[in-house]
Amino acid sequence: MRELLERLIDAATGRADYIDARHLRARRERLAVRNGAVHEVLSSESEGVGVRVRIGGAWAFATARGSSRKEAESALAWALDVAAGQARVPGAPLAPEPAAQGTWASPVERDPFEVALDEKLSTLTAAAKALRERPEVAVATARFQAFRTDKAFASSEGAYCEQRLTECGGEIAASAVGEFETQVRSYPASHGGGVAQAGYEHFAALRLPEEAPRVADEAVALLQAPACPAGETTLILAREQLGLQIHESVGHAIELDRVLGREASYAGTSYVSADSAGSYRVGSRLMNITADATVARGLGSFRWDDEGVEGQAVPIVREGVLQGFLSSRETASEIGLERSGGCMRADGFARQPIVRMTNVNLEPGQAGTLDDLIGDTDRGILIDTNRSWSIDDRRLRFRFEGEAAWEIVDGRPTRLLRNPSYAGVTPEFWSGLDAVCSPSEWRLSSLTDCGKGEPGQWGHVSHGSAPARFRGVEAGVA
Amino acid sequence: MSGAAAVADRALAAAPAGDALVHVTREGSLMLRFAGSRPTQATAVEDLTVEIAVVRDGHVGRAATNDDASEALAACGRRADASATAAARAVGAGPYPGFPQPAEYRQLGRDTTPPDPADGGRALATAFEVADGTGVEAHGIWTAAEVETAVASASGTRVVESVSDAFMKVICIAPGGRSGYSATTARTADGIQPARLAEDATRKATRRGEPAALPPGEYRVVLEHYAVGLLLDTLAITAFDGLAHAEGRGALADRLGTAVASPGVNLADSPRLEATLPRSFDAEGVPKAPLPLIQDGVAHRVVHDTRSAAVAGAVSTGHARVPGGGPGPIPTNLVLIGGGAVDEDELCAPVELGVYVTRLWYANVIRQKEALVTAVSRDGTFLIEEGRITRPLADVRLTDSVLGILARTEALTSRPGLASEGEFYGRRFASAVACPAIRANGVSLS
Repeated sequence: MRELLERLIDAATGRADYIDARHLRARRERLAVRNGAVHEVLSSESEGVGVRVRIGGAWAFATARGSSRKEAESALAWALDVAAGQARVPGAPLAPEPAAQGTWASPVERDPFEVALDEKLSTLTAAAKALRERPEVAVATARFQAFRTDKAFASSEGAYCEQRLTECGGEIAASAVGEFETQVRSYPASHGGGVAQAGYEHFAALRLPEEAPRVADEAVALLQAPACPAGETTLILAREQLGLQIHESVGHAIELDRVLGREASYAGTSYVSADSAGSYRVGSRLMNITADATVARGLGSFRWDDEGVEGQAVPIVREGVLQGFLSSRETASEIGLERSGGCMRADGFARQPIVRMTNVNLEPGQAGTLDDLIGDTDRGILIDTNRSWSIDDRRLRFRFEGEAAWEIVDGRPTRLLRNPSYAGVTPEFWSGLDAVCSPSEWRLSSLTDCGKGEPGQWGHVSHGSAPARFRGVEAGVA
Repeated sequence: MSGAAAVADRALAAAPAGDALVHVTREGSLMLRFAGSRPTQATAVEDLTVEIAVVRDGHVGRAATNDDASEALAACGRRADASATAAARAVGAGPYPGFPQPAEYRQLGRDTTPPDPADGGRALATAFEVADGTGVEAHGIWTAAEVETAVASASGTRVVESVSDAFMKVICIAPGGRSGYSATTARTADGIQPARLAEDATRKATRRGEPAALPPGEYRVVLEHYAVGLLLDTLAITAFDGLAHAEGRGALADRLGTAVASPGVNLADSPRLEATLPRSFDAEGVPKAPLPLIQDGVAHRVVHDTRSAAVAGAVSTGHARVPGGGPGPIPTNLVLIGGGAVDEDELCAPVELGVYVTRLWYANVIRQKEALVTAVSRDGTFLIEEGRITRPLADVRLTDSVLGILARTEALTSRPGLASEGEFYGRRFASAVACPAIRANGVSLS
């Protein structure tokens, strides 16, 4: 592949200020068992080249499927024509970066694509069967998914690197249907389940069949549970819901393309400005957030991003004050950073790299275990697993709803609550953070359906967190 | 553009013997993004997806590739076969009845053209000129595509069609930060009027007056067709998915034949209507046909693919999204019939205190059975006082049942617009909702 990409770069030398080319071969497997039947068995593959050129400040990007030199050269020619034909606009120089060299692969103990379909389906079938032990469960679903991306990257600055990324995971969900509503419980997470940059060992460790009876029981119990009471309360967020809270209210808000107004067309802008690093208070002093592309098993981890910048850990919030952004070489340069934060990623060969989250993590605190945190809470609610999320285009005003909650009374979890919603304004909400559990409780949660960009791109990312407590939150909102 | 049918034939020939179906989509698309009145990204895609689906003992195995070489197609077919066979081994006989038999379908005659970067360049330049002239920044996209789809099956289905689509949206942002939105969805790029879009967006962004704020509550609301379209998109998922309906999860479970909306609400899936983005067949090659969903406010029916039809004891209505089902079937050519109001001003006229919403954003289903959704307004939210728009309003969150809003709909404009978010995740499948602006009362805002 090296020859193909480097020939492309050579062919454009002198005709553009910057060129990079990526070759990708992507593979995906998705299995689902639903109500005792195999609902989906999908195996997909794609391969192609994406070429990105910059002339003046204008970018253009074109693609060719496969690995044909002729097709790739046509794509390059198209990109050069379009970039050259755009209005001349001033463009900041790209932030300097050593030319990436080498190879890297995510650690995998057991290749998920080498595991027999029978073994995977057996696990899913057992899990779905266990969910259906409760007759009130109308829909029982167990899913497996695995992704593999082999990519090679070359640039006109002399970079050439190859990476193999492998991701694997799964989930179960029970839907109990009542007269007026349906209640769903998922494990280990909703919206794609628990996926890690790892092999089949991660899926096996989820122990879906063993967790299924509890999940089914909770789904059924939710049908009869009282609704989450309305009013101001103390809120404890379990890891998955907290991960989504971080994702929506912090992760997207600190994408530098948004901050600079480049995503106003679609994703929106941000409540922070480019000059607010070092001074803008996002939350309480317990809020410490790091964008870390080096954390093991994270879906936002890699050796190099899709413009050849080495993965790194970037401080985003320290003691509640904004410190940094998620950036690219261009956006970093525009605000005077010495180096890109290494956040450019693309969804396949046919999409151009855009600023994406690495693993945006809330650093652990000192509140002990989740049980300790609950024990330290007189009254409040604990929300687990996201059901619904929505936030405005500046990432300020949000409304989230979990799958289940437990009322906390005198330091003990008591009754189950259904439809637990809460709403807030980002800096006010994070200012209410008054406890974060200790490192022993810190884990990654994953998202495989983060949408951004035009044309649309799905992003995979993880968020590390330990359960945390927020004071003065409006819950039970309409 | 040509060749999807030939690829489908070759893939079918390479597929294993037995019940098999091939779905081929070839995309040629171009998208130009702009921000701050300058071009920022240009993306050209030439790609195809060949999907081979095989049925073994009531189970569907699917495999996909973007390589149309003979060896790759054969390998794709083997993977699909292995998947279906493994599924049958895992649980015994499955519920899938087999791919549909060929049926006569009506080929919609239309001309398509490949996207031309020059068209896009001119559209951007026009939008920038309008924005510059009024002191606002223009943000948005211009995109056009030609997509060819073919389905071939072992049982004899052979269908192919080419469609084109074009979309442009302009968001203008005034120096104070207020923004306005306008967009057009069309079948071809010449259906886009960039100057008008930029002017509309500018007008909203520069509307005078200090932004007001309203306390949470229930308000009379005028929703432009962009906002109505997004709400109806969520209704397609929550109410009309035949699989969810059969399982009792859908918003119309036990409600078919009953009044679920105002008598003035007539909603259909109209895949042949030229004013939409017409489609002739679904992912299983089943012909599409007009289908009334809500008539005079009464819920009429839901939609099916082969899989959901088997569960419900019904027949496919041509709404498969992938061969063999999987994600539930949904209508993709929704048309809400217009009412008697001339325009949005007439909708505002009887409103003493209310809210005007241009578009909604980040809509998410909270509870499917209630069709309960939440979304935020953006790019043009205004206060209505004494029958007219008086000043900008801080963006509001709408959390309400879409069926509830339709039940509380008081009036609709006569002329529908074609609403789309212009989102193209994965292989491009352009769809849009044809709908008018509406006025509804008691809409929950916060």
